[in-house]
Amino acid sequence: MFMPISILHPPSLASPTLAYVPFVYPLPIWDYWPWLIVPLCLGVAIVYKSVKCQHMTMVPKEAIQIFVWILVGMMAAAGALAGVVKLVVEK
Amino acid sequence: MAADSSISSSSAPPPLVALAGWLVPGAGYWLIGQRVRAMTVGVTILAVFVLGILISGIRVVQAPDMTAPGNVAQRILTRPWFIGQVLIGPVGLGSAYVSDQLAHSARYRNIEAKARLAEIGTLYTAVAGMLNLLTLIDAAYRAARK
Repeated sequence: MFMPISILHPPSLASPTLAYVPFVYPLPIWDYWPWLIVPLCLGVAIVYKSVKCQHMTMVPKEAIQIFVWILVGMMAAAGALAGVVKLVVEK
Repeated sequence: MAADSSISSSSAPPPLVALAGWLVPGAGYWLIGQRVRAMTVGVTILAVFVLGILISGIRVVQAPDMTAPGNVAQRILTRPWFIGQVLIGPVGLGSAYVSDQLAHSARYRNIEAKARLAEIGTLYTAVAGMLNLLTLIDAAYRAARK
């Protein structure tokens, strides 16, 4: 008899214990979440420069430059906001 | 690389280019002959979207409940990030469908990212959709400029 395989109940998940399932459960990276800004900035930099550059040969260099600038800007903003919190809120 | 220059080698109409770019990220550039640009933006946008789902789980893509009270705008604004997520095309719609299926399953309905991981996954998926909007507008503009 034909038994359709359900994405909700795959055979490997038949055990009662809930194992980590990629793309279903959140990634267990609770302590490393600030690092998740890096791939997002890289993706934004690549797509933005792919749209802006006339020739694709220019994209790698330009994308790395803007990627670094985004990260520096984010770190500066984070530092400034942390300073405001320390000086104003926690005082 | 001639295929990457600003001169398009195809005469696809801009609306078709925009539609292709929505259906498959990067396909708009592919239609106008800019294949390296198409592959670069397509792979990057899909990678950002998939990474967002990997971080938060598929439940991060949630379509608005269209049976809820209020008018259409009010229903959509209950989940405004879906506007960004759906801009990535059928991948976003398919993710919303799978997410809805999981929400109604006994086993996985309580599995949902909370707090920072939910925010980060939402940001990734919505930014991927908005980057796709940027590329499909650019591809349509390049097609019209021919």
